[in-house]
Amino acid sequence: MSWYRTKLERDLARWQTEGWVTAAAAGAIRRDLEQRKSLFTAGPVLAVLGAVLFGFAIMSFVAAHWTGMSKLARLALLLATLWGCYAGAAVLFQRQLNAFAHAAVLAGIAVFGASIMLIAQMYHMEGHPADAVLLWALGALLAAVLTGSTPALAATFVLLSVWGTWERLDSESAHFMFLLPWGGAALTAAWLGWRPGFHLAALSLLLWIVPLGFLIWGYHAHWLVVLIGAAVALGAVAAGETLNRHLPISGALFAYGLVIAYAGLYILQFLDDSRWLASRPEGPEGAGIARLLLLAVVSLVGLLGAMLFALKTDNRPALWLAYAAFALEIFSLYVKTFGSFLNTSLFFLVAALIVSGLAWVAYRLHQSKSATGAGA
Amino acid sequence: MRLFTNRTAYALALVALLQTAALAVMVVNRIRLLQTGREITLPIVPVDPRDLFRGEYVELGYAVGRVPARLLEGPPPLGNAPFYVTLEKAQDGSWAPVKLTRDKPQETSSDRIVLKGRSRFALLTIDGNNATTINNVRYGIEQYFVPQGEGPRLEALARDKKLAALIAVDASGNAAIKGLLIDGRLQYEEPLL
Repeated sequence: MSWYRTKLERDLARWQTEGWVTAAAAGAIRRDLEQRKSLFTAGPVLAVLGAVLFGFAIMSFVAAHWTGMSKLARLALLLATLWGCYAGAAVLFQRQLNAFAHAAVLAGIAVFGASIMLIAQMYHMEGHPADAVLLWALGALLAAVLTGSTPALAATFVLLSVWGTWERLDSESAHFMFLLPWGGAALTAAWLGWRPGFHLAALSLLLWIVPLGFLIWGYHAHWLVVLIGAAVALGAVAAGETLNRHLPISGALFAYGLVIAYAGLYILQFLDDSRWLASRPEGPEGAGIARLLLLAVVSLVGLLGAMLFALKTDNRPALWLAYAAFALEIFSLYVKTFGSFLNTSLFFLVAALIVSGLAWVAYRLHQSKSATGAGA
Repeated sequence: MRLFTNRTAYALALVALLQTAALAVMVVNRIRLLQTGREITLPIVPVDPRDLFRGEYVELGYAVGRVPARLLEGPPPLGNAPFYVTLEKAQDGSWAPVKLTRDKPQETSSDRIVLKGRSRFALLTIDGNNATTINNVRYGIEQYFVPQGEGPRLEALARDKKLAALIAVDASGNAAIKGLLIDGRLQYEEPLL
């Protein structure tokens, strides 16, 4: 927020001297910004942090004083703490201390999770630990749906991602079941109209999509990940205008599609090729290299295209993600090809040509942009 | 506004109630399993015999945790889904696996009991045609949190003695540790509450 304020202050001063903005209008803009700033005070943030610490305190207290307590006393203590958190939340909501009330709800969710684990320990339950995380996540989702608590929804997405990843590591299968509770959480985010919730939904889905190639259709289906990412990104390009009329999300969609597509390409180039080569020993000698080169060209061209589009649409996050991916691609290619078919100097020459080309394109684009800017 | 806060209070009470219900189901299921499940005694294979009860919890090994793959009948288990191991009681009273199935078999004989098990590497190692053994089949009775204060006593009792676990098994094949036997005598029994 503060970088925006600094920039706006500078611009306001300039616009005022140019005579485009009156002193009264500048004052109104500053007051509006002041009011918006109050949304970001430290209180709620600290309250949520406090709730998290409170949860840890309960867990360590209970763990330290377990000795000598009967099972019944332990259960009573856990339930009393659970109800205490939600009763506290009710009181805080009544006093309109909403931020603190949400923090109390979050503490209740933490106690619920701790209770699941402590009960499992008390009764020597082992079973399937991922199930316990799912139960915890569903408890958090319940709290989010019934109380409209956004911190509870954030906890839900985190817990669902932990559950999904755990199930996948255990079963080495795609685990499509993940989509069911994820869909519920995503719908809740939509229902609450909570914008960060969309990002959490997208991120947890991204974490589910990217490893998909390792888990289905012969365990090398990374091209499917690339296709999904490309479809999302291209969909955001094609239908962006229409989408944005309802919800301004095409920029974010483009960025997520870009990350998914590049993650798939990265896995194809640098993480999965040894297995791919090993499975085809009869293939020609240079097949692996040719394949890597082809994928590298596709990646670099795709990233360049993404950068240009991000520049054109003023999509800062997508631009930086594409820059980072580009740097990662160049670095990984360098590590991969070091001492093999390309020698180091040739590699740097190629990289330099690509980057110079990029700079030239960016320069031209900037020129044409400022030209249209001046014309308007 | 009054109405709104009342509604929030009801919503919070409902959250607390449903979460409590979930925890209660966990506890009640377990107590029912311990109370009404069939009892079998399985000898404990020492994993680390020196410090068995020193730690916070111990890993208990059982002979029935190793199941020869040739015992597989029918289709192999899926992914990390649970499967079923049928145990049969021998003349000397010990239990040994005789059958491995994906679905729960109907066993009516009193000399047979079905346990629900899982194995992390089920997918890789199960192949009915070769003679490999599925190690590390887990029945949910392998982790034992040592009761507070009981560690040193059990440790002293267990030194150079035969250890066994008293296991309760319910009709669905779920198993739970009910108590510990040392040289055939029940030395520790889990309280229900």
